[in-house]
Amino acid sequence: MITVNDLHKSFKLFAKPADRLLEAVTGRARHATHVALDGVSFQVGEGEVLGVLGRNGAGKSTLLKLMTGVLMPDAGHIHIDGRVTGLLELGTGFNTELSGAQNITANALMLGMTHEEIDARRQAIIDFSELGEYIDEPLRTYSSGMVMRLGFSIAIHADPACLLVDEALSVGDGYFQQKCMKRIREFKAQGGAILFVSHDLNAVKVLCDRALVLEGGRVVHEGDPEGAVNLYNRIMARQAEEEEGRHQTRHQGAYGTRQVEITAARALGRSSGSSTLSSGDTLELTLELQAHQALDDVALGVLIRDRFGQDIFGINTHQQQGAFSMAAGERRHIQLAIETAIAPGKYTITLALHSGDHHLDDCYWWHDGALQFEVAGYLGSKFSGICRLPCRVELDAAVPQASEETP
Amino acid sequence: MLSALQPRLAGWKVQLPLIWHLARQELVDRHKGSLIGKAWTLIGPLVNILVFVLVFSRIMGARLEGFGAEIDQYTYSIYLICGILAWTAFAKSLSSITNLYTERAHLITKVKVSLKALPVSVLMAESVVYLISMVFFAAFLWLIGFPFSAWWLGVPLVFALQLAFTYSLGLLLAILAVYLKDIKEAVAVLLPVLFWTTPIVYVSDILPEWVMGYMRFNPIYQLVDAYRDLIMYQQWPGGLGLAGVAGLTAVLLLIALWLLRRTERDLRDCL
Repeated sequence: MITVNDLHKSFKLFAKPADRLLEAVTGRARHATHVALDGVSFQVGEGEVLGVLGRNGAGKSTLLKLMTGVLMPDAGHIHIDGRVTGLLELGTGFNTELSGAQNITANALMLGMTHEEIDARRQAIIDFSELGEYIDEPLRTYSSGMVMRLGFSIAIHADPACLLVDEALSVGDGYFQQKCMKRIREFKAQGGAILFVSHDLNAVKVLCDRALVLEGGRVVHEGDPEGAVNLYNRIMARQAEEEEGRHQTRHQGAYGTRQVEITAARALGRSSGSSTLSSGDTLELTLELQAHQALDDVALGVLIRDRFGQDIFGINTHQQQGAFSMAAGERRHIQLAIETAIAPGKYTITLALHSGDHHLDDCYWWHDGALQFEVAGYLGSKFSGICRLPCRVELDAAVPQASEETP
Repeated sequence: MLSALQPRLAGWKVQLPLIWHLARQELVDRHKGSLIGKAWTLIGPLVNILVFVLVFSRIMGARLEGFGAEIDQYTYSIYLICGILAWTAFAKSLSSITNLYTERAHLITKVKVSLKALPVSVLMAESVVYLISMVFFAAFLWLIGFPFSAWWLGVPLVFALQLAFTYSLGLLLAILAVYLKDIKEAVAVLLPVLFWTTPIVYVSDILPEWVMGYMRFNPIYQLVDAYRDLIMYQQWPGGLGLAGVAGLTAVLLLIALWLLRRTERDLRDCL
């Protein structure tokens, strides 16, 4: 059970380090203030996983550090029943010169375990981390994934009442991440409280019972993970737009004869209203075209690629409705609705305008990765692999009659 | 009063295994990667004492008046060792405690450790080295037939006072050093100055009288002198000087604790 009540934390920025001392002693202000947390309250019950989302600098790390007791709050209270362990950044105070085994002792002592407890769990910790003989090698020879494995293994075996998990988990390979997730679920089932900080939106949707979104040190959303993810995405999209406005990079990736151009493009999930949607949601693509000269054979092509650059799905209007024509100076709006029954992950949309069935003759406009979207979580039933194929299952199907003419 | 103290004592008890572990690490880490490893912890003090004995008694032939003929040639060595072992323990502890928070920042910013308890690990490590040295020193005294007395029992008490003094001064400097990088440099420069202005290597008789008048206020002199009184001259060191050191320790400790309470939140922020 974690109770956090009206937590405030600000960092003071000083011109000289000595000013800090003068202020601490005299009490007279000599600093500029950066507010990291501004009245954060929440509760995590037993057997509950609370996700925390927020962009860089929103206050997530500060919150975790306050909860481990590494930093002290300006105001507010944190109450945690029992021991709190976590996986904060990489290696919670590991000494890279010492071996993995020695670090287990040191780290476990720091978490408040006794020597007897450590000896009783040492083997379990080593087994779970799967470090094998490497456990006697100095930590500086470890890969970051191995350090993470050791860190997680100690944290989960320290009998915590509350587990803090942050992005460090994503350092591990897929196999170990799955193992961690399984262990986290077991921990949850045993009544542990978990605070899960991640940028892996899919993991947040799948694992968390509730989620909160931090923005500027305040809780701007607390509730179901779905809503939290959508809000988080709107915040991120706004940031991306601001960035884009600054750099004016909107049309840089496009090439072609530009006889007709795409002047605006948007891709939003129908239910999520953001560029992140659940698998099975409908992706609504809104495009604005402008022709600079009269063309009577224009086709729009749309191509979805995954993060490896692999073509997932492509279509052009020539194959669908046939070509359309545009007058000089004409503007046209085009809408597409694509049912994205594809696996969670990040995708890009490439847009093209060309004549005929392909872009090899007259290519007016080609923009690789013009839009991005992310699929996280599933709407409806889950599936494995890269996409859902229409499928019907009959569990009580009639036995087919054996044909009598079989030779 | 006692009930208010209990949770604090319990807090220290929880920290103790960790502090002891850090102290052990400090001792062992120093010799990490060497062939004979832990043996260096013993060899260092042993060679030191051998050097003091051989160089000053056999080669330089320095001696002090007033001891029996058989041990006469060793008197200066004994005088020197009494002081220098205590000094080494003090100086090494103080300089490591001063840099402790910045040096252990990787720990303090990741795991909850008590800032008050951390310096204790340094003191533990240095005490072990001091203890080993004292065992060799006692063995040497026994070999040359120097008389032992019950006054030896006072040595742990004086050393405890020295530890308390080192802790109080060290804690204060460690807090300040986080804010002012100059503290680290200042300690590095001032420690040798203190070493040479205190009669550790030389005999206090050679100092002019007006200097000795001020020497009373030097806590290190009081401590070193007390060890010599107990071990060499086998007499009560005189309580006033030590009481003064205890008083100074108490004042330093109060200032350090006040400063820590006042600045701990900030201090953790800026590590």
